[in-house]
Amino acid sequence: MIKIEHLYKSFGEVKVLKDISIEYRQGVCNMIIGASGSGKTVLLKTIIGLMEPDSGTVTFNGQDISGLPYAEKKRFRQHIGVLFQNSALFDFATVIENVMFPMDFFTDWSRSEKIKRAKYCLERVNVVGSEKKYPGELSGGMQKRVGIARAIALNPKYLICDEPNSGLDPETSILIDQLIHGLTREFGMTTIINTHDMNSILEIGDNIGFLHQGRMLWQGDRHSIFDTECSELHKFICANSLARNIMESR
Amino acid sequence: MLKKFFIETGRYFLFLRIVFKKPEKWKIFWKQFFIEADKLIVSSVVLVAVISLFIGGVLVIQTASNMSNPFLDRMLVGYMVRESLILEFCSTMVALILAGKIGSNIASELGSMRISDQIDAIEMMGVNSASFLVLPKVLSVTVLSPLLVLLSFYLGLLGGWIVVETTSIIPAAKYLSGLKYSFSEYYVFYSCFKMAFFSFMISTISAYKGFYAAGGALGVGRSSTKSIVISCILILMFDLIITQLMLY
Repeated sequence: MIKIEHLYKSFGEVKVLKDISIEYRQGVCNMIIGASGSGKTVLLKTIIGLMEPDSGTVTFNGQDISGLPYAEKKRFRQHIGVLFQNSALFDFATVIENVMFPMDFFTDWSRSEKIKRAKYCLERVNVVGSEKKYPGELSGGMQKRVGIARAIALNPKYLICDEPNSGLDPETSILIDQLIHGLTREFGMTTIINTHDMNSILEIGDNIGFLHQGRMLWQGDRHSIFDTECSELHKFICANSLARNIMESR
Repeated sequence: MLKKFFIETGRYFLFLRIVFKKPEKWKIFWKQFFIEADKLIVSSVVLVAVISLFIGGVLVIQTASNMSNPFLDRMLVGYMVRESLILEFCSTMVALILAGKIGSNIASELGSMRISDQIDAIEMMGVNSASFLVLPKVLSVTVLSPLLVLLSFYLGLLGGWIVVETTSIIPAAKYLSGLKYSFSEYYVFYSCFKMAFFSFMISTISAYKGFYAAGGALGVGRSSTKSIVISCILILMFDLIITQLMLY
């Protein structure tokens, strides 16, 4: 479980996160939703420790990592798998080398064991036969899958995904969503997904927090989202025609 | 502006502190070391060789054309070409050329990795990204660049000899005896030391600029340009300081 309490973050005079408090549960898809510029990515980067909060705490199963020394923070990060918005695969490495990268650093496995594990992870995300290709030779959807395979390579306890559907067609988006949802349940990870894609929210949003201008205005799940009385969330939902139709029919 | 200078200098040294941490795994470090040595040093051999050959030839012609006094021994042409090459050209001029080639390579590579979140991805895996990416570059360039000085020196002298052999500027025997005249090994050490120092500056400055690049593709271009300009200015400044300290 990841617990955030009274989190504040600002850049100069601009307050980006204002008093964020929320809990992210294990084994379900937790989502941070909101319009562009609402502070989603800053919240996500603060959670994983790439940005330091001005005040407030982020605890992973009761352990506050914000105050940890660099070496311990580094060690803790081995338990976090991250899928970046643009996949962030290493250009200098092939697909299988990308997946093996964390194993090279943090395991004493033999090369054959690492290859076996990397192939398992790639099979798990349905990437077969592209092991020797470089990231530049893959489609956006394939890159996301390889990114997920790399993120789960060391069996992380936490999976963090920043806009996993951005730049993907609707069909591939759904496949990626289902993949993340399936892996979250299978491995019992605490998954946080940052998105503004209404289809994803309706597909896999088990625990959703709506962020607006740096404040967490609403929290619920995909079933209760249409019953919201939050006007800003209402506007956000109605921007999507499918969701608007569902809302109007209710 | 002065405040910005001090902030940047402080950040640069803090960056070096992170870079010079013990590598996570020595096996991976050595693998990266040789990859970087190939990418940065071995790939520069042709460029350095071509430039040195031509500059050696040009130096012979220029020196000979400025020594029309019949009382000056023609052997001095060889002597002066050798001294010019080893004291200044093979270290400082080659370093300035490498600042463009190696500096832009390092800054643009790291800058691209920064803006595409690859550095954050390494950091999120619990790996010291600065040490993993930068340390092999800095050490391979610093340790191996003196070999480029030696290569440049020999090829510069060879370029001069080719000109002497193919023209009638001075007799080849005079050129060769000039090359051997009053040779000081200390100058070779001085030149190699300068080159290692300059290479350290080039690699760390361009790595620093690339590592903290921001602002998309334009930002990467800006950081690459800045790293070359700063490296070139510092090379010339430290050339003066090191020369004063080591030769006088």
